[in-house]
Amino acid sequence: MLDRKLRRDLRALSTQALAVALVMACGLAMMIMTRSLILSLSTTRDEYYGGNRFAEVFARLKRAPQSVEAELAAIPGVAHVQTGIAVQVTLDVRGLAEPAVGLINSLPERGEPRLNRLHVRAGRLPEGRASRGELAVGEAFAEAHGLRPGDTISALLNGAKETFRISGIVLSPEFVFEAPPGAALPDNRTYGVFWMPYRELATAFQLYGAFNSVALTLAPGASEGGVIAALNRILQPYGGRGAYGRIDHPSHRRLDDEIRILEGLAIAFPLVFLSVAAFMTNSVMSRQIALQREQIAMLKACGFSNRQIGAHYFKFSLGIVAAGVLLGSAGGVVLGGLLVDMYHLFFRFPSLEFRVDYGVLGVAAAVSAGAAFAGVAGAVRRAVRLPPAEAMRPEPPARFQPSLFERFGFARWSGPSLRMAFRNIQRRPVRSALTCLALALATGILIVPNSFRDGIAYVIDFQWDVIQRQTVTLSLVEPGPERGLHDFRHLPGVVRAEPFRFVQVELKSGAITRRLLLQGLPAEATLSRVIDAQPRQLRLPERGIIMSAKLAEVMMIQPGDTVIARVLEGRDREVAIPVVGLAEDFAGTAAYMERHALNRLMLEGDRISGAHVVVDKARWGEFVAAVKETPRIGGCIIKDALRDGFRKTTAESIGLLQKIYSFFATVVAFGIIYNSARISLSERARELATLRVLGFTRGEVGAVLVGELVILTLVALPLGLIIGSVFAAGIITTVNTETVRLPLVLTPANYAFAVLVVAVASALSAVFAARKLAEIDLVSALKVAD
Amino acid sequence: MERIYGEGTAAVTALAGVDLDLFAGELIVLLGASGSGKSTLLNQLGGLDSPTSGVLRYRGRDLAGMDEAGLTLFRRDAVGFVFQAYNLIPSLTARENVALITEICRDPMAPEEALAMVDLADRLDHFPAQLSGGEQQRVAIARAIAKRPEVLLCDEPTGALDVHTGITVLEAIERINRELGTLAVIITHNAILADMADRVFTLSDGRIVHARENATRGAVRDLAW
Repeated sequence: MLDRKLRRDLRALSTQALAVALVMACGLAMMIMTRSLILSLSTTRDEYYGGNRFAEVFARLKRAPQSVEAELAAIPGVAHVQTGIAVQVTLDVRGLAEPAVGLINSLPERGEPRLNRLHVRAGRLPEGRASRGELAVGEAFAEAHGLRPGDTISALLNGAKETFRISGIVLSPEFVFEAPPGAALPDNRTYGVFWMPYRELATAFQLYGAFNSVALTLAPGASEGGVIAALNRILQPYGGRGAYGRIDHPSHRRLDDEIRILEGLAIAFPLVFLSVAAFMTNSVMSRQIALQREQIAMLKACGFSNRQIGAHYFKFSLGIVAAGVLLGSAGGVVLGGLLVDMYHLFFRFPSLEFRVDYGVLGVAAAVSAGAAFAGVAGAVRRAVRLPPAEAMRPEPPARFQPSLFERFGFARWSGPSLRMAFRNIQRRPVRSALTCLALALATGILIVPNSFRDGIAYVIDFQWDVIQRQTVTLSLVEPGPERGLHDFRHLPGVVRAEPFRFVQVELKSGAITRRLLLQGLPAEATLSRVIDAQPRQLRLPERGIIMSAKLAEVMMIQPGDTVIARVLEGRDREVAIPVVGLAEDFAGTAAYMERHALNRLMLEGDRISGAHVVVDKARWGEFVAAVKETPRIGGCIIKDALRDGFRKTTAESIGLLQKIYSFFATVVAFGIIYNSARISLSERARELATLRVLGFTRGEVGAVLVGELVILTLVALPLGLIIGSVFAAGIITTVNTETVRLPLVLTPANYAFAVLVVAVASALSAVFAARKLAEIDLVSALKVAD
Repeated sequence: MERIYGEGTAAVTALAGVDLDLFAGELIVLLGASGSGKSTLLNQLGGLDSPTSGVLRYRGRDLAGMDEAGLTLFRRDAVGFVFQAYNLIPSLTARENVALITEICRDPMAPEEALAMVDLADRLDHFPAQLSGGEQQRVAIARAIAKRPEVLLCDEPTGALDVHTGITVLEAIERINRELGTLAVIITHNAILADMADRVFTLSDGRIVHARENATRGAVRDLAW
């Protein structure tokens, strides 16, 4: 029978219970959504890696005869070796004005590759006798250009332009994230991955009987470090550029970082939401129990034990939890299902199916039940501790005193309504403080998602307006002498050109190593600049290296320390370089040196890898055509295309997340405020009805109720903005990884939005409360306790 | 026994030495003005509160020294309460309010039977808000007697009711007392109710200042106030 009471009480409190359940559901939905995405990504990745035999150690070299492969296979701890050729070529794609870059990989002449097997999405692999002039293309590039099997594409192979027929569209575990090495973002329009038979590719590049790339897997229990060292030793005479494990594999690393971001989000956001839900449960239950004080006393007088009564109210909160878990699970599953499609923009899997993390569903239910119980425990304990005889009597009138506000002399200006509002706040300092805190939390959680959005806008501006001011970055197929810069300057429409030299290096500090492109730039470049956090341009010194703050952080380096740089191209050498400064860079990690200093380090003459150029918009067509006809230009990155790509992919996907989180935060803000108003109304219905009977107008009575809410909101807003800023800082720290970085940006617009939502929610709740107030039946409100 | 609330200078003596014996089947009326201590006495008798000093025994069991769990069991098995403010659960119907109690005791009557004893057989499925004051009070009585209590304690059962309704409520109490042999204790400030009792005690300042025994109990319907 108590259960029946429970059901009816819940129904009577349905809107409030729903508000609490919704807040809980928002937290749970996020938790389930992110955990399920993590599960989906990681299991799909593991199955894909396993099924298609993704290698564990990778190496590039200049050229080694095929016979060396046997030596590699003999390294202790190596399970399987796959050698082949990978070359970068310039592509001429129909419909694309600028040249694109392709990475062509070889396929074994017979049979399937032992490692890094391809998944054929459409068509077939270029195999057999008829395969001459055919290649397979990676899905991301094919989709960006609408390429289908049977279409053709032109490429410059070692200076000779050849046209190929596309035999099929494929995926590779090596290119889940299909982006040029060193790029934080995919640009699928100008970078593609291709596969063609070994013989044809090797012949074109005079590499027949040799290989320039190695992939291998490890035997169980083998040491990766040992194998890499042995591999480097063997490949060194052949121009080895340093072997690396999966952790340094660009595609794998990017995917790992994505999972790490989700892991951060899976904890931080739900934690905030669930604490708010626990607080709301507590306030609803405290009020409910206070209202049922006499019922509790009667139950005790009639012989119900404390345990039975306690259980009754716990069950009450369990009803709310059940609704929250149900709504949250459904929401998490639906949203996760929608979001998983978004990952298709970045990560190419044969199929990325959404998998619900059922384990986390159980944890979520337990966590929120725990939160609700924690919220209810205090109220229940108070209720059952009350001796029945005492509870039967009406609550003694609370002790009031003139509020601080009045003592400061403001009383003259305040009418009785405002005075009552102030005294009410002061009479229950803890309750008022908690309501204030809840309102502040509501304000705070609104800040976080929008700080993500603003961070991205800042990155777009910073990266492509402050740091990079060139129109186009042109790179040479092979580094060449400085006079090549002359040719760049003479391309039609080029207004300005600044050379750069990029070198693959491995930086070491203690046991920490990182592979990256060391950028050699002019000491005081005007196009691609080195900027610090201020932001102000840094001058590259004649000696020493400047690295991005994030890289310094992960390598635990400070300016003044020395870092060991191992050059991975040309002559293999290790040099100690002092770190002279820290730069701000949001596109992954980077390190910079003055170009001549870098060339001295390489023991080479004055060489360049390419140039950043500014092009006259009016002569753009001429410029692009000329670039396409220049065989020595291997790559052409158009800044605006990159920026558009970023806007369409990363910005849009984070934008979607931001919208979901914003929506949740708004729901929570409304829930908290509505709930506060409801509780305040029910606590005071009798008092307010008495005022009405005594001759107060509805407006004056409303002012008492609304006044309290307004005062608390005014106090809560600044507090909430501070809390929100702290939340945002904390969450951005958890999601920042080496490849994905977001600055903490807090704009006045963001704060204004939070204040606006809270103000609107307060106003609507006040309107609601005022309408409820009008409904109070004065006579009955006075006669019987509610 | 004595019951003192608070300590030191704030101490309030609600019962200042009360000594009495009550027997099965009796109908007792406790009279007294507001603040005379009659509600406090009732709370001691019902196990809702424990005396500060003195002895309180029920069928040889020491109630004064009993812990909360013991008192809960005592109330559950032996005592039925009727409160002035009815204290019905508003979200449960008449039948459900009674059933709430019958679910936790050892040998209850059916809720319908209890409600029939107070002439509410036709109001079983009404919510408290749909019943008149007298009807609500009779539901409260049905709830109290459904467990077949040995003691029925009524705190101002007619306090909120008019004469006619009050009579029907008192008739219900008297009938339970007569038919089930329940000890019924009614506290009231209405001296007219004294006529229906076997014995009448008058309290003032926490003491029994007057005790009287009626040779015959007056009929409830003859009462008038």
